[in-house]
Amino acid sequence: MALKNKTKSASQYGFFTSKKIQALRKKISFYEARVTLYKDYKEERTLEINEAFQTKINNFLAKNKRLLLTKKYEHEDLEKQFNQTNKLAIDKYRIEMRRKFRIKREQIRRKIKRLRKKDVSQELIAFYENKIVLYEKFYNQKTEEYRNIRLLKFNDFIIKNQDFKLNIEAVDKLEAKLTKKNELFTIKHTKKRDQKLNRINVFCDKKYKKYQKKLESLRNLFEDTMANIPSDNILLAEDVVLGVENLCMFFGGVKAVNDLSFTVKKGEIFGLIGPNGAGKTTVFNCITQFNKPTSGQLYYRNVLGEVINLNKVAIHDIITHGIARTFQNLEIVKEVSVLENLLIAAHRQYQSNFFEHALGLPILRIEEKVIRRRADKILKFMGLSFYRDWFAWGLPYGVLKKLEIARTLMANPHLIILDEPAAGLNDSETKELADLIRKIRDEYKCSIFLVEHDMGLVMDVCDTILAISFGKKLAIGTAKEIQKNKEVQAAYLGVSEDE
Amino acid sequence: MYNFKNEYLNKNAPRPNYQVKSKLHRVFTNPLGQFALLGVILSLLQILNMMGIIPRDIMSSIAFVCIYAIAAIGFCLLLGYSGLASLGTAGFIGIGIYILYFGLVEWKLAGLLVPFIIVAIISIVLGFVIGFVSLRIEGIYLAIMTLALSEIIVKLLKTIKESSLRISPINLHFFGIIVNKDTIYFAVVVVLILLLIGTANLINSPTGRAMVAMKSSVSAAQAMGISLLKYRLLAFVISTLFAGISGYFYLAYLTSITPATSTILTLSMSLNILGAVIIGGAKSLWGTLFGTFFVYGFQSIFLQNIPFFQENPAFMVMATGFLIILVVMFYPGGFAQIFYNLKLRFKSAKMKWRTHRYGVEE
Repeated sequence: MALKNKTKSASQYGFFTSKKIQALRKKISFYEARVTLYKDYKEERTLEINEAFQTKINNFLAKNKRLLLTKKYEHEDLEKQFNQTNKLAIDKYRIEMRRKFRIKREQIRRKIKRLRKKDVSQELIAFYENKIVLYEKFYNQKTEEYRNIRLLKFNDFIIKNQDFKLNIEAVDKLEAKLTKKNELFTIKHTKKRDQKLNRINVFCDKKYKKYQKKLESLRNLFEDTMANIPSDNILLAEDVVLGVENLCMFFGGVKAVNDLSFTVKKGEIFGLIGPNGAGKTTVFNCITQFNKPTSGQLYYRNVLGEVINLNKVAIHDIITHGIARTFQNLEIVKEVSVLENLLIAAHRQYQSNFFEHALGLPILRIEEKVIRRRADKILKFMGLSFYRDWFAWGLPYGVLKKLEIARTLMANPHLIILDEPAAGLNDSETKELADLIRKIRDEYKCSIFLVEHDMGLVMDVCDTILAISFGKKLAIGTAKEIQKNKEVQAAYLGVSEDE
Repeated sequence: MYNFKNEYLNKNAPRPNYQVKSKLHRVFTNPLGQFALLGVILSLLQILNMMGIIPRDIMSSIAFVCIYAIAAIGFCLLLGYSGLASLGTAGFIGIGIYILYFGLVEWKLAGLLVPFIIVAIISIVLGFVIGFVSLRIEGIYLAIMTLALSEIIVKLLKTIKESSLRISPINLHFFGIIVNKDTIYFAVVVVLILLLIGTANLINSPTGRAMVAMKSSVSAAQAMGISLLKYRLLAFVISTLFAGISGYFYLAYLTSITPATSTILTLSMSLNILGAVIIGGAKSLWGTLFGTFFVYGFQSIFLQNIPFFQENPAFMVMATGFLIILVVMFYPGGFAQIFYNLKLRFKSAKMKWRTHRYGVEE
C-alpha cells in the first residue's frame, strides 16, 4: 500500500511534492547557490581589485605629470598668453581711439558746413580743416604711446622669466626623480594587489571546496532516492513547458475561463488574443496562482525537466520555479531606485536569513555584490543603465515598462509571462519591443507567453497564437491560420445579420 | 597672470578622481559609525551630568527620550517600511513594565538580566499570536484591531495589580553590580544604539527591501516571491519586541509608577509614538529619533528656560502644537524631509564649486 501511494503521488503532482525529495532538493539548491556564489564573488573581487589598482596608479601618474608640466612649460605658455593679450589690448585701444576721432571729425565737418552757408572767410574754414588733421595726428600718437607701454611691459616680463628658460637642468632633475617615484609606487602597489588577490583566492577556494564536497554527497543521495521511485512524465510531452488542462475559473455566475486547454512548447513565443473581457488576464492569474482555479490542472516543466502541478504551489513560491510575470497596470515599487527594484525581484536568490541581515554579516555583502553585478548586466541589456540610481517615482512610462521586463529577467526565468507589454507604447517603441522579445528568448533561452491587443505585434512575434472569446477556445495555430479563421473574425468584427 | 596658469593646467592635466574618499568619510557614512558616534555623545552627556555641569532635570528628560525612542524605532519599521498602522504600542509597553515588576518583586529573580530575557521572549510570542490573528486585515481596520487588543491587555494587567509598582533599589543589579538611576542610563544607551544598528542593517538588506515592496505594491511583492504574512509578522514582532524593551527600561529607570494614574498605559502613549514617527519622518531612523525628541524632550529642555513660558506654562503645549502643524503642513515627510532638502542644497553648492574649479565634466 505504502509503495502504491508513493508512486501515485509522484505521478500525480510531479516529483516536487514528495516531502523527502522536496527537502533534499531545497538543500541541494542551497549548496548549489553557495558554490556559484563564491565562484562569482571571486571573479567580481578580482575585477574590482584590478580596477582600484589601475585608478590608483593612474591618479598618481597624473599628479606627477602635472607637477612636471608646470615646471616645464610654464614660461612658454605664459609668454604666449601675454603676447596674445597684448595684441588684443592694443587692437582694442586703437579701435577706441579711431572711434573717438571719427566723432570729432563729424562734429567739425558739420561746423564747416554751417560756416559755408554764412559766407565766412576762407581762412576760418581752412583753420577748421587743419584741426581735423591735428586731431588725427593726436590720436595716432596716443595709440602709438600705448603700444610702446605694452611692449615695454612685455619685455620686462621676458627678462623676468629668463630664470625659467635657463632652468632646464632642474626640470630634467625633477623628471628623473618623479620617474623613480612612479616606479617605486607601482612596485609597492602591485605587491599589495597580489597579496589581496591571493587572499581572496584562498578564501573563495576554501569555501568552494567545502560546499562542493557537501553538494556531491547530497547529489549522490538524491540520485539514490530518485532511483527507487518509478519516473513517469506521461503528463507532459518532453518539449512542453506549460500544459493547461480543462481550466475553469468562475467568479460567482460569471464564467471567466471555461474549459480551456492548450500547451506551450519550449523556446516558443506563445500569444493569447481575444476581445475585451475574454478572460486573458484571468488565465495569467490562474497560472501565477493570483486566482485559484475553480477546476482544471496546470502542469509546468522546470529547467531540470521535472513536472510540477502549479495548483499545489503557493503564490509566492511560483517565482522559485522560474515563472516570472509582468502586470497590465504597472506594479513597480516607486519608493526605491531602479536598481533596487531589480534586487527586489532577486529576493528569493538570497540564501542568507533574517539574523544574518540584522547583524550585517559578510555573507550578505558577498551575495549583494554578486547580485548587484548581475542586475547591472541586465540593466545594460535592457538599455536602462542611465536610470540605474534614479527613483522609479516619476520616470517615463516606456522606461517603467522596460523595467518590469528587466525585473522578470532578474528572476532567472524559464517561462516569462507578459501581460500587454505594448499597452501605451507608440509604433516605433512597439517595433523595438518586438525585437527585444525575440532577443530575450534567444539570449536567456526561455519561453515567452504574452497577451496583447496590438495585432501587429502579435502577428509579427508569436510562433503560435491562441484566440479565445468569453473564456472559450476559438482557434489555435500560426498567425496566418488565425487570420483566416472565420470564428476569430466573427468574434472581433461581429457577425453580419444576413448570415 | 595666475589665471593663465590655472587655465593651462586644467586644459591639459587630467582631473582628480571624485570617487576617491578618505577612510574617515567611509566610517561616518555607514549607519554603524554614525550611531556609534551618537552613543558616545549621549554617554558623554551623562558623564557631564555626573560632574555637575548639566542639570539633573534635563538629563532625566533625555533619558526618557532614549527610552521612548526604542519603541519609536520599532514603530518606524512597522509604519514607514511595512505600511502597517498599529495603535497597540501602550499595551506592549505595559507588558514590559509588569514583567520586570513581577520578576523582581513577586518571583524574586536575581538581577536585571533574567527579566530582560523573559520580556524579550514573551513579547515575541505575544507579537506572533496577535500578529497571526490581526494581520489578515489592512489599513485603518488593523489600527482599530490592535487598539482593541492593546486595551484588553492593559485592562488585564490593571486587574492583576492597580496600586503602585515599586522596585527596591537593592534588586537593581547586572551580574552583581548594583546600578542606580545614573548608571542604568548607560544600559539604555547601549541597547538603543544596538537596536538602531540592527534596524539600519535590516532596512538596507533584502528584508527591508521586501518590506518596502510589500508596502508599495502587494501584487508585485507576491509575484516577486515575497510572502506577505511572513514579512508582516516579522515587522509586527520586531515592533512588539522593541515596545516591550522600552517598557522594561521605563520601570527600571523610574523604579516606581502607579498604573492607575500614569499616562504610559493609555491610548495617548500610542498616539504620541505615532505622532513622533510621523513628525520625524516615517522612512528615516534619524527622523524618528528627532521626532521622539521633539515630542518628549523639546518642552522640558528648551521651552522651559524661556521666561515667557515659565510664567504661562499653558502656552508651551500650544507652541509645540503650532510647530507640529507647521512641519506637517509644509513638509509632509517630516523633519527628515527638511534635512534632506538642506543636504541637496549643500550638494548642489558643492557641485557648483567643483565646476568652477575644475570645469564641466565631459
